[in-house]
Amino acid sequence: MLRMDKNDHAAIQAVLAGDKEAYGALVVRHSHILFRVAYRITGNEADADDVVQEAFLRGYRKLAGFESRANFGTWIYRIAVHCALDKVKHRKGDEANLAGQVGDSNDPELDQLQVADHGAGPDRILLSGEIRSMQEAALHSLTATERTAFVLRHMEDRTTAEIGAALGIEPNAAKQAVFRAVQKLRRRLAPLRVAT
Amino acid sequence: MHLTEEEMIGQVYGEGENAAAVERHLEDCRECADAFAELQRDLADVNAGVNRVATPERDAHYGERVWAAIADSLPVYAREKRHWWSSGLSKGLSYATACALLVACAFYAGRLWEQRKQLQTPIAKQAPAPQQTKQQPIVVVVLDDHLDRSERFLVQLKHADLDSSAMAFPMREEARSLLAANKICRKNAAAKDDPELTTALDHLDSLLADAANEPGGLNAQSIARLQDEMNRDGVLFEVRVLRSRVAHRGGTGETPAKGGTI
Repeated sequence: MLRMDKNDHAAIQAVLAGDKEAYGALVVRHSHILFRVAYRITGNEADADDVVQEAFLRGYRKLAGFESRANFGTWIYRIAVHCALDKVKHRKGDEANLAGQVGDSNDPELDQLQVADHGAGPDRILLSGEIRSMQEAALHSLTATERTAFVLRHMEDRTTAEIGAALGIEPNAAKQAVFRAVQKLRRRLAPLRVAT
Repeated sequence: MHLTEEEMIGQVYGEGENAAAVERHLEDCRECADAFAELQRDLADVNAGVNRVATPERDAHYGERVWAAIADSLPVYAREKRHWWSSGLSKGLSYATACALLVACAFYAGRLWEQRKQLQTPIAKQAPAPQQTKQQPIVVVVLDDHLDRSERFLVQLKHADLDSSAMAFPMREEARSLLAANKICRKNAAAKDDPELTTALDHLDSLLADAANEPGGLNAQSIARLQDEMNRDGVLFEVRVLRSRVAHRGGTGETPAKGGTI
């Protein structure tokens, strides 16, 4: 997915030689992948756009330290994950509010009743939408690291070693972050099992 | 003993620490097997849920828009200038430092080599003669030179004007220089078990020591005493005999190498 293109190296050399415009080719080539992971981590289009721009800005500033043997795609992807993580951390207040909207009563019984109540409605599509909202809210209720680790594992199909590298933590710590995310999500979404 | 949730999650991801044992346990324990199946369903639901949240599409010109948004805020990498200062100059300095170190090392090594050479020469002369034949010409030349200088000194001493002090200082300096060389020649002679040479050099050593270390420097009185000593021991005669012997040995056997050092 993140193959190193020979053109990437050529573009990097050109940029370092003073050709700023060559960086544009790298931006065009990798923007979509960065937007996708940024959106999956932040869950917000505007934030994801900001993350993409910030990642490329940081990448440009650090380009002189980029090792020629490394893969630019992987490198800028990690930077984007960091940027997205920062964005989510800074948005903690909003996150807490969002989590509070659905299923944040810390009372599984109450959550179960709420969903069961919705399920009693005639429109099955509405229930489906409600479940999706709960799942999104459950995802947002995780810490920034847990959420990012979970997204990278379940949506980006990254190994724990890759997640650790992207988050700047040990692989075992990355594995524990994924495990904690799964445990929390299960508890959050337990009421859905009764509803469905 | 049942499996923990963490062990089961690890098993789902294929990252458990003891996958085979967990697998066996799941086959034997119905309760854990049910819990494991429930976990798998939950994860499938979560996956289905998060994957249902479609990532918004960005058109083909998205990258160009990102570039347009950030391009103006990016400085140009001035590589040539940077290269000249940070790379070129540092390389130049590195080379200069390396050259300086090399020269210093060569100088130091040369000094060491000279010192070792000077120390090794007398040691070599103490070794058994058959194995040192190649070094013998150097010894002969040194001894010959030493005897030549000593003879001239003794002749000068013999005919020294007792009323003039003009030659007193140069003679004492020459005596000190000869004394140092004579010690080495004595050692060599002792090592070669040459009693005639050793005795002669002993007499010469005594005379040179008196001349070199005369308190207050050489004067008419001390020169007279040295002349008496020289005549009593026949030092000049011994030196001349030795010179002829050494010259004969050098002319018949070895090829003297002029310029050799002690």
